[in-house]
Amino acid sequence: MNTTQTAYKDLILQSEGYFGPYGGCFVPEVLLPGLQEIAAAFDELKLDEAFLAEFHDTLHTFSGRPTAFTPLPRLTEEIGGAQLFLKNEGLNHTGAHKITHCIGQILLAKRLGKKRIIAETGAGQHGYATAAVCARFGLDCTVYMGRKDYERQRPNVYWMELLGTKVVPVEDGSQTLNDAVIAAFKDWVANPESYYLLGSAVGPHPYPAMNTFFQKVVGEEIRNQCVEATGRLPDYCVACVGGGSNAMGMFYDFLDDEEVGLIGVEAGGRGVQPGEHAAKVLHGQLGIFEGYHSYFLQDGDGNIAATHSVSAGLDYCGVSPILAYLADEGRVQFATASDAAALAAVQRLARKEGLIPALESAHGFAHAFELAATLPKDKIVVVNASGRGEKDLFITMRHFQEESLIAYAKHLLK
Amino acid sequence: MERLGAQQIPVMAHLVLGYPTLEASIQTAETYIEAGVAILELQIPFSHPTADGPVITSACQEAVERQHVSVEDSLAAIRTIRNKYPEQEIMVMSYVNRVFAYGLKKFFSEMELLRVRHLIIPDLPVDDMLHSSILIPQSSLKLVPVLAANVSDARLEKLLAMDFDFYYLMSDFKITGSVFSLNPRLQGVIDRIKKSSPAKRIGIGFGISTPEQARFVTNVADVAIIGSALIQAQQNGKLEEYLHDLKKALSPATELV
Repeated sequence: MNTTQTAYKDLILQSEGYFGPYGGCFVPEVLLPGLQEIAAAFDELKLDEAFLAEFHDTLHTFSGRPTAFTPLPRLTEEIGGAQLFLKNEGLNHTGAHKITHCIGQILLAKRLGKKRIIAETGAGQHGYATAAVCARFGLDCTVYMGRKDYERQRPNVYWMELLGTKVVPVEDGSQTLNDAVIAAFKDWVANPESYYLLGSAVGPHPYPAMNTFFQKVVGEEIRNQCVEATGRLPDYCVACVGGGSNAMGMFYDFLDDEEVGLIGVEAGGRGVQPGEHAAKVLHGQLGIFEGYHSYFLQDGDGNIAATHSVSAGLDYCGVSPILAYLADEGRVQFATASDAAALAAVQRLARKEGLIPALESAHGFAHAFELAATLPKDKIVVVNASGRGEKDLFITMRHFQEESLIAYAKHLLK
Repeated sequence: MERLGAQQIPVMAHLVLGYPTLEASIQTAETYIEAGVAILELQIPFSHPTADGPVITSACQEAVERQHVSVEDSLAAIRTIRNKYPEQEIMVMSYVNRVFAYGLKKFFSEMELLRVRHLIIPDLPVDDMLHSSILIPQSSLKLVPVLAANVSDARLEKLLAMDFDFYYLMSDFKITGSVFSLNPRLQGVIDRIKKSSPAKRIGIGFGISTPEQARFVTNVADVAIIGSALIQAQQNGKLEEYLHDLKKALSPATELV
């Protein structure tokens, strides 16, 4: 492990799909032409100034970038350690960082002349963002969502449908993100002319590198904003990790700045027993699934295991091959936060700073609060608030004010 | 040896090991073999069979979640079948993660011991030897390319230059167990494979359910690959009847009908 010598940024974007031993393109042959078409377009467009100008213009005019970089003075004082800052990706249109790679991919799909978009979604944030860009750019859209997520993230189902997207609940398996990914791939096999707009830094080449490329604007904004606010770079960047798109977005620009610590926080769920969490890097095994080689939660005989997290966006069996590589290299450290810690972090951030993060992002905050307490006051910790918490209304309300939720449900049904 | 002289039917008959139980799946294999299927395709069940349709997916989930069929159990079942039918052509199918978790090298040598000559792994591009972590071991075992009508000319030429001798073609763009159709562009793929070497065999699958469809397919390919329809026939208690009809439709005696 020699983080000073490795130019990780170049390595990732010039990888052709492998990051150390991880990544690859493990898909049925029938999908190869479609993936190769996307990979070739991405290779060209990532250097195309007109394309990049349109991408950044759309981020600005449609999604509201740059998003705010917010100091957290009251929490900093209460904790009494490092200075805490928050990158408010929840201010993006549709409420999370997801729209960033959706805008990138929809512009790419348009250049390829695609008419129909397929996507999967967990928490609904990627599906919602995909539905928005499809409406905006006039493409048909079908989103697959595990039945369990469909039920627990109903507000996002509604928004997607309002935007004209067809949302298909997936009844197979554990009925979460994993099953939605498989259903989306099956749709793509049956409809190879469609464009599969995959929503994280996972999957076969070129998705991990491509979504990282589109999301890296998050870290670039943080760099400028942190220097402007404090005169220097952060000491730590903290992000939650489900598949890894918000984490890679935040981390990428700092990969070659060895003085910046990068910490990914996985879903600790209800405990370390199999099926009770979604911590792939810390508790998973190497495997090959859904198109890529990385760490997966498995049963020891090559079957994919069930996962659990209070946040649908982290409730997934695999992790970005880029993060698996960076974990092995020691460049990104990993930690977990439990369901309870994430819920408590939502409440604490709301009460102390007037900000309501998504449950996914709250995992990052839960860890950052612990970390900050161990650090001197001159250190800077930035947390990526990858999404805002409005989508979790019925989940957090159930935990914090169950009686009020029941009363409201009764009122609505009158 | 006991089937010497028995009439073979040009069918690759698929089943999921461990469905509905390991013992029952061995019996099903024997029923297929006794009916004279040219090739027996044994699927080692995986929790998330990403390229399969609902019938095979639920059979796999049943085998994994209720029957807890391990890779070792599957290999033991194949051994039982092999010992009873030393001459039967057997192909093994699974998904890459199960083989990877078991150990590619160990798995390949087990296949050699079981005299399995072909391995079908739909989510492993057959020439993906880009990295040592997934290096395909040196072996007499051959991987089977699973191709569809959208395979590019360059890709097909590359594969044809390698030593694959059995090609599994998807009838159309769909998952297993869908309604049958034959993509019009598939004939071009078939012609190129046969032109490269008539010894290269071709099987066509995905959606073949009736004996008539099987017969239609064997007019253009060496074998018709049947999976979901066999599982459904078994579920309805009509497996023997189905195999009988299949045999009747595919036997040379009915050629003139």
